[in-house]
Amino acid sequence: MLELKNLCVNYGGIQALKDVSLTVKTGEVVCLIGANGAGKSTTLRAISRIIRPKSGSIIFNNTDVSRFEAAHVVRLGIAQSPEGRQVLSRQSVRDNLEMGAYVRNDNEINADIDLQFQRFPRLLERQNQLAGTLSGGEQQMLAIARALMSRPKLLLLDEPSLGLAPIIVKEIMGIIDTLRESGMTILLVEQNARLALQHADRGYVLEAGNLIFDGNAKDLLDDPRIKKAYLG
Amino acid sequence: MELGTFIQSLLNGLSIGSVYAIFALGYTLIFSILGIINFAHGAVFTLGAYFTYFLIGGVNNGTGVLTNLGLPFGLPFVLATLLGSLLAGGVGVILDRMAFRPLRARGADPLLALVLSLGLALLLVNLAQYLIGAEILSFPSNVYGDWLPPAINFGSTENPIPVRGVQIIIFTVSMFVVVILTLLINRTKIGKALRAVAENATTANLLGISTERFILFTFFLSGFLGGLAGTLVATSFSISGPYFGVTYGLKGLAVIVLGGLGDIPGAVVGGLVIGLAEAFVPGDFSAYKEAVAFALLFVILLVRPQGLLGRKVIQKV
Repeated sequence: MLELKNLCVNYGGIQALKDVSLTVKTGEVVCLIGANGAGKSTTLRAISRIIRPKSGSIIFNNTDVSRFEAAHVVRLGIAQSPEGRQVLSRQSVRDNLEMGAYVRNDNEINADIDLQFQRFPRLLERQNQLAGTLSGGEQQMLAIARALMSRPKLLLLDEPSLGLAPIIVKEIMGIIDTLRESGMTILLVEQNARLALQHADRGYVLEAGNLIFDGNAKDLLDDPRIKKAYLG
Repeated sequence: MELGTFIQSLLNGLSIGSVYAIFALGYTLIFSILGIINFAHGAVFTLGAYFTYFLIGGVNNGTGVLTNLGLPFGLPFVLATLLGSLLAGGVGVILDRMAFRPLRARGADPLLALVLSLGLALLLVNLAQYLIGAEILSFPSNVYGDWLPPAINFGSTENPIPVRGVQIIIFTVSMFVVVILTLLINRTKIGKALRAVAENATTANLLGISTERFILFTFFLSGFLGGLAGTLVATSFSISGPYFGVTYGLKGLAVIVLGGLGDIPGAVVGGLVIGLAEAFVPGDFSAYKEAVAFALLFVILLVRPQGLLGRKVIQKV
């Protein structure tokens, strides 16, 4: 479904990604792990065209993503729940979900909003509240629900566990499992390597802009080198 | 102050204040999206008035290059106002495409855009002076039609409280525009997307909202509001020449700062407050009327630095 080939990205004068190549197949949950600043978010931002790669290609369902503006990437079927949630804090929860469906013109948007409320009952209670007044966990749920509103073929999740209480993290990972069972293709970026590998099919490890390991999530969990460096 | 004068000042204040409001909304929209003050907004106000003047079939009695010329046709006033404001919106679009957008594309400092807008204001004003001339152009006194009495009496026959019919029209039209704009921004998909761009352009992009398209739309909307305000004011007084919009341009700045920068209800409240404050200046001091807006601004900012409705910006270090 998604294929990155030799992706290089320069960011603020430094080489943030060096020759990164990875694939995500339909129905897979793939995680990208690594330390802070390894280039994980940069990879997702490049896929969503928020930043322009220096070289390399991003192919999504046989389409070269680099031909499109950032705003068009969602129309191709790639939605992102960005790092730091980035909810529209001055708009209501419901309006945030509506904006998630900005690229759609069908008449099932309200039905889909109800679907998100079933998935995240806390959002239903707060649907008329300004998103900025939600707790961190609720904002993360909203960011994921909002991304799902575009009915993506590929969901990019950037650090969904960051800064959240363990019980909320569990809830969110449960949602990721449910999405995975329903056949959603997900590229998950996480600093919490163990957590990510436990919920993914395959994993890639980024270090200072280079992909250094990849493999089945289970194998990576057992790999002594990864255990030592990332699973503590 | 006796009741009659009070009501008269109140209605006059609301009328002029409501024009300040729609004019200032043009500043606010651009500020909330781009974080810049578009100083060319006052010039667009002037152009809007000129456009409408010529569209109703007005002849240029100025001494510019186009002296004694006019359009070979005259449109009904309502249509001309609408078209004139749309043309002013078009000027906004051209300004963005030709000037602001190239700066943005190069990632220029917002301060440069601000200086650029000052230059554009001068360019437009001087172009108008060259083509039309510096003379006063006046709309016919019955421009709204003969059904509108020159003055409407809000009192009794013994104690008349006359208010000019034009003022009532201006207030009604401006408030109508404020309501429509508020609905557009808060209730429609376009408005919500516009607010998303204003809050965070990158996030808007991630949702599939094309930032550039909305910036262009904002310039159009801003120009439309500026042009409409110009026309309304010109029908109440006259087009005092190419510098017609300069005072309003400055006062509009006072309005948005007073109301809270980038805040839409704030621009409306700010406009009404300044309009009312001016209207209640006693006749003996009417020469100082223009200073009222800024005196008020000074006092209110001492108490509320974020403006009347502005949010407090908390700088996290």
